[in-house]
Amino acid sequence: MSLSGFVLRNAFRNKRRLTLSVSSVAASLFLLVMLQVALRELTNPINDEGSSLRIIVRNKVSLAQPLPARQLQVLERIPGIVAVTPFTFYDGLYKGDEKFTSFAQFAVDPARTLLLITDAKVPREQLDAWLADRTSCILGQMTADRYGLKVGDRMRFTGQIYPCELDLRIAGIYHGTADDRNLMFHHKYLDESLGNPGTVGAWWVRAATVAEAPLVTDRINKAFANSSAEVRAESERAFVLGFVSMWANIKILIGGISIVVVFALLLVTVSTMSMAIRERFRELAILKAIGFRRRELFAFILAESFGLSMLGAILGAGGAWVLFHSIDITKLSHGLFLIFEVTPHMVGLAFSVAALLGFVAALAPMLTVARTSVVEGLRTLD
Amino acid sequence: MTDEPIVAIHELSKVYQQGDTKIIALDSITLDIAPAEFLVLMGPSGSGKSTLLHIIAGVDRPTSGEVHVQGKDITRLNESELADWRNHNVGFVFQTFNLIPVLTAYENVELPLLLTRLPGRERRRLVTTALELVGLADRMKHLPRQMSGGQEQRVAIARALVTDPSLIVADEPTGNLDSHSAQEVLGILQQLSREMRKTVILVTHDPKAAAYGSRQVHLEKGELTN
Repeated sequence: MSLSGFVLRNAFRNKRRLTLSVSSVAASLFLLVMLQVALRELTNPINDEGSSLRIIVRNKVSLAQPLPARQLQVLERIPGIVAVTPFTFYDGLYKGDEKFTSFAQFAVDPARTLLLITDAKVPREQLDAWLADRTSCILGQMTADRYGLKVGDRMRFTGQIYPCELDLRIAGIYHGTADDRNLMFHHKYLDESLGNPGTVGAWWVRAATVAEAPLVTDRINKAFANSSAEVRAESERAFVLGFVSMWANIKILIGGISIVVVFALLLVTVSTMSMAIRERFRELAILKAIGFRRRELFAFILAESFGLSMLGAILGAGGAWVLFHSIDITKLSHGLFLIFEVTPHMVGLAFSVAALLGFVAALAPMLTVARTSVVEGLRTLD
Repeated sequence: MTDEPIVAIHELSKVYQQGDTKIIALDSITLDIAPAEFLVLMGPSGSGKSTLLHIIAGVDRPTSGEVHVQGKDITRLNESELADWRNHNVGFVFQTFNLIPVLTAYENVELPLLLTRLPGRERRRLVTTALELVGLADRMKHLPRQMSGGQEQRVAIARALVTDPSLIVADEPTGNLDSHSAQEVLGILQQLSREMRKTVILVTHDPKAAAYGSRQVHLEKGELTN
């Protein structure tokens, strides 16, 4: 038998308590990792080359304020812009969804949009069909799969922002973009449904090169400065992050829950370790009597506490990693979550928390052992 | 006593403070114990016999006085030195056996050797010898709960012996045993003193147990009475 073997024997002496303690640590760390994954999903927008080239131009006052459609002519003349399309978030409730439709619908100019979503893969004949029929749309593969839709099917929406209903025919189904969930349809159709108000929600612009994108952003902002409809142009990524920044409370909430989880975990581990040491107080006194020094007893306690926490971390954080890597969460959530993955940083965080817990939980029992003399310990024997 | 004493106690006192009250557990004890002596400390409860045993064994400290064991004043050793000294020089036998329940008889006996740098083979030899000496070579793989009280106490004696200490202290070792097992245990302690020249200090208030010793010392209210 070695000293490490002795520690293991002690750790496994009460298997039920060990199982429950490790399970609670594992479940808490699993939850912690999941919260981090969710936070990342909410706050980390897709960042590919296409999104670096694309620019969103919205009303400087507010995203809810429309922009005049006549701005298109000005935008087209700005150097560095290779494509521009109206880009209006329709926010319709799909027939069948009761409260929430998880995919976005955008009114765009189809011909212009094709220059913006070059990564989208759609059969040529489907694109031609979309261009030809202004009540048609193209739909992301994920959403099509989720609802079991195919080319030729019709989709009916009730506007949540705009007071109109739309009946769209699926002309094509695309895939290959970073987010294959969205639906795009003719802006003209929306205009007609609303009585041609002469406005758009925003502009979607593509810069010629990634290097030129910031310059283009600057030029757009300047072009409409001091006009009746000043704009705010920003990269697609910055736009999404700005959107997320409005969720500050959610971030605080998730952060708060994470802290509570860690604190609860600390209480569980401290309680477990205290119980484990309390019931072994006699034996620790005997060990002291036969020559074990404080540092060896500290090492036993620390090793056991650390081992318990780490085993929990392996099961919890490791379990989360295995689970989220082995299942297609995008498919399972019907496209609601796209980048639901456990990063090495999150696993590292969970293991760091576990290590800290292991250490902190060992402190109180170590202090008790240090304070108790051999005789005091032996007195508890008889 | 012709030999130089293995334990020399001089003017040893132990006083406990309880609030404003001073409790004198040991009062100016002077006592020599010879090598290979089987000394029996007797006395009623609260007479200070266990306190004296603890101080001799280096698990408690006196208020004043000196305790020399093999020429070394153990009252001057610090916590860590004292632990090391105990590991090499003292073997403990307790009333309640105090074996580690999750370890086998073999592993319980091996426990003090984990603090040494002895190779595995040497440890195995020492543990086997100690268990053979107490007649439990066939119980090596048994857990404490699989043994009788007498067998458990014999394992405890083997654990006390395995580091080959010069001093074995036994605090009421037969208190939890039936008469047959008690005789076995006392016989082993006597054998250790007579044949292996171990110095054994036994605390008991049982005259039958005391009869196994080579000398009896009586304590009453912290003082030696003979």
